Amino acid sequence: MKSLTLRNVSKTYFDPYAGAHVTAVSDASLAVGQGEFVSIVGPSGCGKTTILNMIAGFIPVSSGEILLNDQPVKGPGPERGVVFQSFALFPWKTVLENVGFGPKMRGLPKAECDKIAREYLALAGLADAAERYPNELSGGMQQRVGVVRALANNPEVLLMDEPFASVDAQTRMTLQEELTRIWQERRPTIIFITHDVSEAVFLADRVIVLSKGRVLKELAVPLPRPRVWDRLIEDSAFKALSGQVLQLVRSA
Amino acid sequence: MGNESQQSCRPAAAPAAAVAAQARFPRIVAAAQFVAPLLFLLLLWELVVRAFGVSPRIFPDVEAVARAGWETIQDGTLVRHIGASLGRVAVGTVLAIAISIPLGVAMGLSPVVSSFLTPLFRFFSVLAGIAWIPIATLWFGYGFGAITFVIFNAVFFVVAYNTLLGVARIPMPLRQAAAALGAGGWSMLTQVILPGALPNIVTGVRTGLGFAWRGLIAAEMIATNVGLGYMLFLARDFYRTEVIVFGMIVIGILWLLIDRLLLAPLERATIERWGLVDRA
Repeated sequence: MKSLTLRNVSKTYFDPYAGAHVTAVSDASLAVGQGEFVSIVGPSGCGKTTILNMIAGFIPVSSGEILLNDQPVKGPGPERGVVFQSFALFPWKTVLENVGFGPKMRGLPKAECDKIAREYLALAGLADAAERYPNELSGGMQQRVGVVRALANNPEVLLMDEPFASVDAQTRMTLQEELTRIWQERRPTIIFITHDVSEAVFLADRVIVLSKGRVLKELAVPLPRPRVWDRLIEDSAFKALSGQVLQLVRSA
Repeated sequence: MGNESQQSCRPAAAPAAAVAAQARFPRIVAAAQFVAPLLFLLLLWELVVRAFGVSPRIFPDVEAVARAGWETIQDGTLVRHIGASLGRVAVGTVLAIAISIPLGVAMGLSPVVSSFLTPLFRFFSVLAGIAWIPIATLWFGYGFGAITFVIFNAVFFVVAYNTLLGVARIPMPLRQAAAALGAGGWSMLTQVILPGALPNIVTGVRTGLGFAWRGLIAAEMIATNVGLGYMLFLARDFYRTEVIVFGMIVIGILWLLIDRLLLAPLERATIERWGLVDRA
């Protein structure tokens, strides 16, 4: 079943520094099935974040259309959860209030919001951090909150924009493993933006390589799950796939 | 106590006992560190006046000022002046805050409007205060209206400018995150925009009230017949130097109380707790 469809999507905008119109995304078409985990990888400036922002509804498309369950996307909405590179947690809300924010916006009573938030915090091993403020947490913990905050709203699609780019390498590997575990438990549809080739391959069912605003190639990732770094790091199939994607990205 | 007052002068060389005391009675130590220099000033004052035999006209001794203060307390004039001054500050400030915050938010939400108005507001923020006294007396006559207007101006422009700045500085991902979690216009305003701008708003109120307090005293010397500024001015006419000095002390203490008991706790409870203080 198709969950999300991009049909001939383009985005051009006026760049005041260049003094000209720039094409960020050009004629991109894409279909993501329900419960699928897709990575979009490409060098900086390839348009991957622009695509994500259009799916999230933060910016409008210039032409083409984006459909979620056959409904055109118009503006941001709770059926598309977003996880940001900068975490984007509300500093004035506790961890519990951050995670319960989506349910609160749906009009649920406070007790219900807290219950949902605690359930998702437990899922990420953050039960003890509920009453703390984001600035009291490490970067890795903050992004765990960012992920479960988006999940607590039970979105149809989870959009992740280089979410682990600003944490240290060890924490990143842990977060990647946790994300695949949570995905296997809850099965949200995930679109994961990254410039890290091994991250893209490690996480996804399918890797989409983007270049200069166009879809360069799609590759299936038939690696078995659950995926853990200890095993995959020396796995020949993982290495071969990563090498292939890396070549595509570098040639892009 | 002796140890602690010494420590306030040389915090780098804090003896171990003082450090331990600080850990056990943080509030008492903080209060002592705050009061000790003021007591020192009092002592110095008394010594200098006695040592040089200064004329009471020029500068009275501590006892004369205390006596004058006691007089004004007993006959009720001090309460009357303080009441008038605080009333004007309260009315002017509340009015200014009530209007400037919504206005600042509205302007901050539009990049075009905020970039257009920023220079204007910065200009009026600097101008605000006593510079308005002459025109205020032309518009409102002498008394409550003119003085409240001066206070209103002192607070209004600074708070509006800081609110605008605070709203414009809220990181875009925070607004996007709220929108993606289903926040509509009202929730966006109350859950994201206002708390996000609060550090700047608090800074604005603190700065604005500081301006207002100075403006108040100046305006009261010119444009009224009751209030702390008028009390100083009147005392000068009667060569009551001790009343002038007492009034100055009251003005300083009142400001410290407003700042420490009203504004600082607000800052601690919110923006410091959230780790936002570097944005202020």
